[in-house]
Amino acid sequence: MENIFDRSVDLGEFVPQPDDDMIVCRCEEVTKGQIRQAVHDGMFTITEIRRYLRTGMGLCQGQTCAKLVKRIVANELKVSMDVLEPASSRAPMRPIEMEVFARENN
Amino acid sequence: MKRFDLIIVGAGPSGLSAAIEAANRGMNVVVFDENEKPGGQLFKQIHKFFGSKEHKAKVRGFVIGEQLLKEASEAGVTVVLNATVIGLYQDKEVVVKIGDGVEHYKADSVLIATGASENMVTFEGWTLPGVIGAGAAQTMMNLHGIKPGQKVLMLGSGNVGLVVSFQLLQAGCEVVGLVDAAPRVGGYGVHAAKIARCGVPFYLSHTIVKAEGTDCVTGVTIAQVDKNFQFVEGSEKHFDVDTICLAVGLSPMSQLLKMAGCKMEDNPKRGGQVPICDEFGATSIPGIFVAGDVSGIEEASSAMIGGRIAGITAAQYLGFIDKEEQLTKCEENKKALDGLRQGMFAPKNRGKLVEKTEEGIPVSMNLLEKGFIANDEMERFPGVTHKAGVHPVMECTQNIPCNPCQDACPKHCIKIGEKITSLPAVDESVDCIGCGMCVASCSGQAIFLLDETYEEGFAAVTLPYEFLPLPKEGEKGYGLGRDGKVVCEAEVVQVKTAKAFDHTNLLTIKVPADMAMKARFYKKEA
Amino acid sequence: MGNTADVIIIGGGIIGCATAYYLAKKNVSVIVLEKDKSIGNGGSSRNGGGVRQSGRDPRELPLAMYAVEHMWPTLSEELGVDVEYHKEGNLRLGKTKKHLEILQGLTDKAQACGLKVNMIDANEVKRINPYLSDEVIGASWCPTDGHANPLTATLGFYKAARALGVRFYTGEDVIAIKKIKGIANTVVTKKNVYTGGKIILASGYASRKIAATVGIDVPMQNVLIEALVTEAEPKMFNQMLGTADADFYGHQTNHGSFVFGGASGYEEMNKDDGTQPTSSITAPCICRGIMKYIPKLADAKIVRTWAGYEDVSADGIPVISKIDEVPGLILACGFTGHGFGIAPVVGKLLSELGTDQQTTLDLKEFRYDRFKAVI
Repeated sequence: MENIFDRSVDLGEFVPQPDDDMIVCRCEEVTKGQIRQAVHDGMFTITEIRRYLRTGMGLCQGQTCAKLVKRIVANELKVSMDVLEPASSRAPMRPIEMEVFARENN
Repeated sequence: MKRFDLIIVGAGPSGLSAAIEAANRGMNVVVFDENEKPGGQLFKQIHKFFGSKEHKAKVRGFVIGEQLLKEASEAGVTVVLNATVIGLYQDKEVVVKIGDGVEHYKADSVLIATGASENMVTFEGWTLPGVIGAGAAQTMMNLHGIKPGQKVLMLGSGNVGLVVSFQLLQAGCEVVGLVDAAPRVGGYGVHAAKIARCGVPFYLSHTIVKAEGTDCVTGVTIAQVDKNFQFVEGSEKHFDVDTICLAVGLSPMSQLLKMAGCKMEDNPKRGGQVPICDEFGATSIPGIFVAGDVSGIEEASSAMIGGRIAGITAAQYLGFIDKEEQLTKCEENKKALDGLRQGMFAPKNRGKLVEKTEEGIPVSMNLLEKGFIANDEMERFPGVTHKAGVHPVMECTQNIPCNPCQDACPKHCIKIGEKITSLPAVDESVDCIGCGMCVASCSGQAIFLLDETYEEGFAAVTLPYEFLPLPKEGEKGYGLGRDGKVVCEAEVVQVKTAKAFDHTNLLTIKVPADMAMKARFYKKEA
Repeated sequence: MGNTADVIIIGGGIIGCATAYYLAKKNVSVIVLEKDKSIGNGGSSRNGGGVRQSGRDPRELPLAMYAVEHMWPTLSEELGVDVEYHKEGNLRLGKTKKHLEILQGLTDKAQACGLKVNMIDANEVKRINPYLSDEVIGASWCPTDGHANPLTATLGFYKAARALGVRFYTGEDVIAIKKIKGIANTVVTKKNVYTGGKIILASGYASRKIAATVGIDVPMQNVLIEALVTEAEPKMFNQMLGTADADFYGHQTNHGSFVFGGASGYEEMNKDDGTQPTSSITAPCICRGIMKYIPKLADAKIVRTWAGYEDVSADGIPVISKIDEVPGLILACGFTGHGFGIAPVVGKLLSELGTDQQTTLDLKEFRYDRFKAVI
């Protein structure tokens, strides 16, 4: 989203869907309905959705659900998927035990 | 802090290829891989690869992996396994988890070749144990020797879904069906035909409605979808399965590049979030290179060439070779890469329906819609001819960049010509000696030997066979059609195994003469 | 519609969002301009979540005490978003005699301001938090301190403000404030111009550059901080933790993960390339610090590290002030890494300044023109 985004844009009413209770982010157990509702609450970026719902913040670090969440958000915002910037990539790329991370061997 | 000329993350086809090129030019190269075995996807690939002789066609994937490892070791590359790169920090610093701690490394150039991860799709019950990625199934079977399940449904008709379905059959699983929401098979027709003739039904324009079960998968319901991918009411079909495999595409694992600050783009054609890079794999940050699936989803053969190009370019970046050498060497590789990107499945044709072959022959719509060529579609292809005595029939009907069969025949009776994507044709002026080299050489298992005048009223069909246990000569059973249905009784008259066949066995069955062009697989009498 | 509102807020962090919310509750029309693509992507989402009174500068303490007493306990209900507020105390831990001296000094100061905080011995520390190591010999203890979730608190204010009709524009990069006939009422962005009765500038360190366009400066510095997050662990404790030695600070979230901040010692000299970089040596250093205090966490997996910036003011407390020379402009910046805990009350106070009302608390200590030469 390079462009200026008006957060008051009308997304229409939140209409429940039959598969709203389907889990999308399995690490954090976030459902499709929660993600859709979050968009209606004003969370327009993947970063905001993550911070609001914890999608992609679990052990798999979004490896599984990133595209799924993106598709739902894009759909809800009625924009194409590629305008949504993915969340930041942060070290460590794989979860690592504190005592291992603490031990610097060189 | 340990220091190298080049740090490569990922010991898959592209990473190893890059390492070999760089090390051969004098660079001090280390390759890190988080897995306990090197080779990335290659070691899961037990099938023969497509392509040209120069690029390891008809060699099985894991053998290519072994060859690359040997080459890398001879070139002096250090490959560190069980080494998880946890971050790519400022100044090309790589932090790696090794053993009970982390280690800091720096290099003057870094090549990211981390590959891709599997996509998922959601449906009711998709989080149940038993719903797995096709790649995961492949890892279980081919690396760890574990059957992922007994009865499996495969979602996705791309090459991954097709190849893994065949491997599931080889592992002794029952594949109850191959499902794809698209109206046509996405992968190579020859891969589809291979599983269709084993009796796996194709459900195109179908997708999964739900996975059933409480603690694990016990069944699955699929249904037809219309043009808008909406379920067609009343079209539901149920299967008892314990495993659902998802082969619905890959996403580049490009997080390290994003962390390093490389310019990224979301490019659906390349599979998702990828670094912006030039034709040599150079990213927006000088000295950081990419190769393989992380820069755009393709397959192992192009990953290897991409790796070579990036390795050569890294050598030039650090002054180990001059610009001229880099350009010359890269040009050779690019030509090979262009060769691989030809034909019906070329990147430019993705998502398009190609209705005619390069030769102007209408493609088999039955193959695209059901996974096998219909009997009445077969005769129009140049690989199909008829004459007395043994002769090859090549059911290779799509333009794909592959030509080992041409060189396999000692009598040169198979012609592809200069253009690697051309359909193989039979040179009828040459007599076939029935050696079967062409049958074993075909990565798509699409070549058969026919003797239409084998015995009075009977024909002999020689087919490639990669299942165990091998049938015995004299054994009675059934001939299966291209659709996997029983078409006739059959008797095994010969089973040939040879080192030169590389584990593709040649099974010759005797069938009624009118079944010569119909029987394409063999099933033992129950 | 258009680009006009009673108040234009520059900065969509928690201060801007909270201010917008409290203004909207007063039926004031508000536009919030945020440079980033995401709301609250600066310090608002990059802090340890502390809602502390202890350890505060005495000048700032009244704000913290007000927020803890009157605002945080009801904030989740008010916003309709769980801000995960816990008022279960802050332990500032010491391992050496010298540490205890430091803690005693802080405690004396806070007590003098009327805050309930006291020194406790090792046994008492263990009683409050049995997971702490035997190396801990004492602590200062403020039972009314606590923590909240900065992510949901920031987005909660945003959501509630938006629901009340506040117009938010993200990706809107402010380049200047303009005075028109002596009154600051115009905000110029790269692509647009906005006008309002009042302008509230609350964009962290970036405020400095924007304030400069109307000739105002606040001496402050952009200081990098780093933190790490663990996977979800079984519930262990609810206190906010800090140390006399400043090795680390943090807490366990409702989710179960721990969020710990800390430093390698080279933060002020970081080589910023504009990407809020984490350093390769900081997270290991924080891990070593934590394990000395909470050995049980040795096998907890780290899933994320992040970095952010603090807008550190010259004297360690923020500017929350009208600007005499620039009528119409209100400045709120320099929160120095402890703005989150007081954000609700700052939002309330700014909404009062923005409507020319008497402020609930005295703001004279937070004037913009308090910075003088040392001699």
